[in-house]
Amino acid sequence: MTTLSNNDIARAIYLVSKDKTHAELHNVINKIVSFLVRRRLLSKTEDILERLNKIINHENQKIIAKLLSAKKLKEKTKKELTSFLRERYKAKEIVFTETINEKLLGGIRVEINDEIIDLTVKNKIKKLQEYLIRKT
Amino acid sequence: MSTNYIVENLKKEIDNFSSQIKAEKIGHVLEVFDGIAKVSGLSDIKSSEMVTFPNGETGVALNLEEDTVGVIILDDFSKIKEGDEVKTTGKILEIPVSDNIVGRVVNALGVEIDGKGVIKADKTYPIEKVAPGVITRLSVDKPVATGIKVIDAIIPIGRGQRELIIGDRQTGKTAIAIDTILNQKGQNMICIYVSISQKDSKLRKIQTRLEEGGAMAYTVIVSAGSSEPAPLSYIAPYTGVSIAEYFMDQGKDVLIIYDDLSKHAVAYREISLLLRRPPGREAYPGDVFYLHSRLLERACRRNQEYGGGSITALPIVETQAGDVTAYIPTNVISITDGQIFLETDLFYKGIRPAVNVGLSVSRVGSKAQIKAMKKVAGTLKLDLAQYRELEAFAQFGSDLDNATKQQLERGKRAVEVLKQPQYAPIAIERQVAVLYALTKGYMDDIPVDKIKEFEEGLINYTENNTKKFYKEIMETNIWTDTGEAELKKAIEEFKANF
Repeated sequence: MTTLSNNDIARAIYLVSKDKTHAELHNVINKIVSFLVRRRLLSKTEDILERLNKIINHENQKIIAKLLSAKKLKEKTKKELTSFLRERYKAKEIVFTETINEKLLGGIRVEINDEIIDLTVKNKIKKLQEYLIRKT
Repeated sequence: MSTNYIVENLKKEIDNFSSQIKAEKIGHVLEVFDGIAKVSGLSDIKSSEMVTFPNGETGVALNLEEDTVGVIILDDFSKIKEGDEVKTTGKILEIPVSDNIVGRVVNALGVEIDGKGVIKADKTYPIEKVAPGVITRLSVDKPVATGIKVIDAIIPIGRGQRELIIGDRQTGKTAIAIDTILNQKGQNMICIYVSISQKDSKLRKIQTRLEEGGAMAYTVIVSAGSSEPAPLSYIAPYTGVSIAEYFMDQGKDVLIIYDDLSKHAVAYREISLLLRRPPGREAYPGDVFYLHSRLLERACRRNQEYGGGSITALPIVETQAGDVTAYIPTNVISITDGQIFLETDLFYKGIRPAVNVGLSVSRVGSKAQIKAMKKVAGTLKLDLAQYRELEAFAQFGSDLDNATKQQLERGKRAVEVLKQPQYAPIAIERQVAVLYALTKGYMDDIPVDKIKEFEEGLINYTENNTKKFYKEIMETNIWTDTGEAELKKAIEEFKANF
């Protein structure tokens, strides 16, 4: 018997619950929970839910971007960033989760899934450091 | 140096600096253990792609799984912690190469470890490469002179050949390899000695020996010591062969020694088991054959159209209690073009090098053997084989006919002549003279314990008195009747005075 990965389960849950009415959904969810209990997978629900969330976001072309900056960003900058990211990732919706970190010194850093675009001053200084102490 | 000068220089350097903005793929370390890291993220990573850790450590992605990537860490992994950011580089693992590497000792990443300063290199070579295709190859027809009589006469090796040296521990496997390197002086050959999981004391001894023999002038040592993590032992032979390819691409002949591939397989087994790949026979992973075949297939002789040059490989494999049917020995035997089989029994009988002539073969080398050697050594293997068989019978009784007795006596002398001390390679033309005296029966009436003395005297005498014959062999490698007559005369003269 092949083992089921959490990702497989999340995808299956997405597919069975897609386009269901409220009443149907209630039934489906009951079945999902009993399945998880039967297969002793309840401890993995957190991970499965996280994956389900990712799948739903992907299907809805919604992107969650982690935004790190030294100072709070202006609305105008954010708007420009949104339109740029929409273009780049072919997404309909961009949701930012913002973090302010003064150690970045300046600039911004965008993290989307496992891709990063690092435009911070800290990163530039680090690159300059690597360049200056490189072995010749 | 004035402050102004430093500031000016710094300014200039900073002006030259430009950083490109690009989106990078990152991952995070989930767990680190025994030189392996499990990393999340890193989508789109290629197999064998290099990754970097925050403190500058390099890793190679080996296992690409659904959510995680298994990375082998090629540096000290003690500073890597859970949650560290890992970046892809988009490059397959490569090492710096240059002509300056000759005479140096480097680690598995091509970085010097002999304390003689940084090796300047302007080129890099990937460590994994597909072996040269059929169209670019030429069959083996030039000899590698090992300077060891028994090998040059009976199991000759050609340039571009892969000849396995196999035997138990302490039977002189490394000694054969080192003697071969020592004998390459003036032979237009670059030598690479890859030491895999060997004791550092042994490596140091070898390095000193090569320096004393003046062999470091054309030798590179690649070392992955036994104190270093297994991933370095795993990549060391590929690093060695990449350096060899750099020289072959210049049309040079290269000799590479892998000491030894059984330890290499063990290192790979360790990595594979840690990466949770399923174990197979003797707990080696399923692709352990491919591990060695893709390495040894890179040894080749290129034709002139593709720049000439060759890589001759001498892999070494250690057996346990003479068992050649174990997994790794059988694999490597089937990949290589022959093997030199060393035996403990022979070693303790005083027959050194302890080559078992019956089990050793060279599948392609006879084409590369020089004509003169072929002429004198043609019957030697058969003589020795018959001697071994008769020797067993002779133990039971003493009533033997004359022909058998003669064969036994000849065999005893042949064994004696083929003995050779370590670090004393003999030039091919001298070997020819001695073997001629043996096979033509000039030694038959010399007592066995005097054979060594006779041999040494004969070499000295013929060197001074058969200059024409020596010159002929050295320059043209051909055997002529006049040369033979000269040699014959000299041997007879020497024997009369012995």
